Amino acid sequence: MLKPHRVVLEKVSSYTEEAAAFMRRRRHHRREFVRIRFRSGAEADLPVGTPEADRIAEAAGRLIELG
Amino acid sequence: MADVSTETGDPGENSLAAAADRVLDNLAELEPELVGAAIFGPEGERIAVKADSERWPSVAAELLAALEAGSGDEDLDSAHVARADGEVFVVKESGLSLVAVTGRFVLASLTSYDMRMALRDLGRGKTTGRAENGGD
Repeated sequence: MLKPHRVVLEKVSSYTEEAAAFMRRRRHHRREFVRIRFRSGAEADLPVGTPEADRIAEAAGRLIELG
Repeated sequence: MADVSTETGDPGENSLAAAADRVLDNLAELEPELVGAAIFGPEGERIAVKADSERWPSVAAELLAALEAGSGDEDLDSAHVARADGEVFVVKESGLSLVAVTGRFVLASLTSYDMRMALRDLGRGKTTGRAENGGD
């Protein structure tokens, strides 16, 4: 049988792991991206911060705002 | 989601616009998270729009132009843009472009597939004068 302090430690660490996983998932879900697929079959994630990606993201943002 | 009228004097264009309108209605039924959508022709001309704002089609056209510019020398097939409060999908098929805004976290591959099928259907209707899911 585990010593009582071990049980508490394991419980606390499992909660912190859950919280960390939740934060990771949330960060991943909130990630913004611009993904383009070409006729050739190639696919590209335009790097955020480039003028092309910013122009696309800005137009997409305005479209979403308009609803 | 309101219907922004695109009727012109040309009967051929009007029937295409009517079929495109029905295709967008069907798409809205398939995609409960759909917020707005528009179909554009090969030259970027507006064919049908389902959106609440009058400015929607012009901003969608700007987005299409930005995507074409961002594609460089490659031919654009489709695009998926995710923002914090929504997602935008663009699919090009049969010489037509469909731009759609949805809520966040929709199934991207399913949405793109439905959009492609809608355009394919409309493209078929364009050549045969009849769209399976959009035409009479």
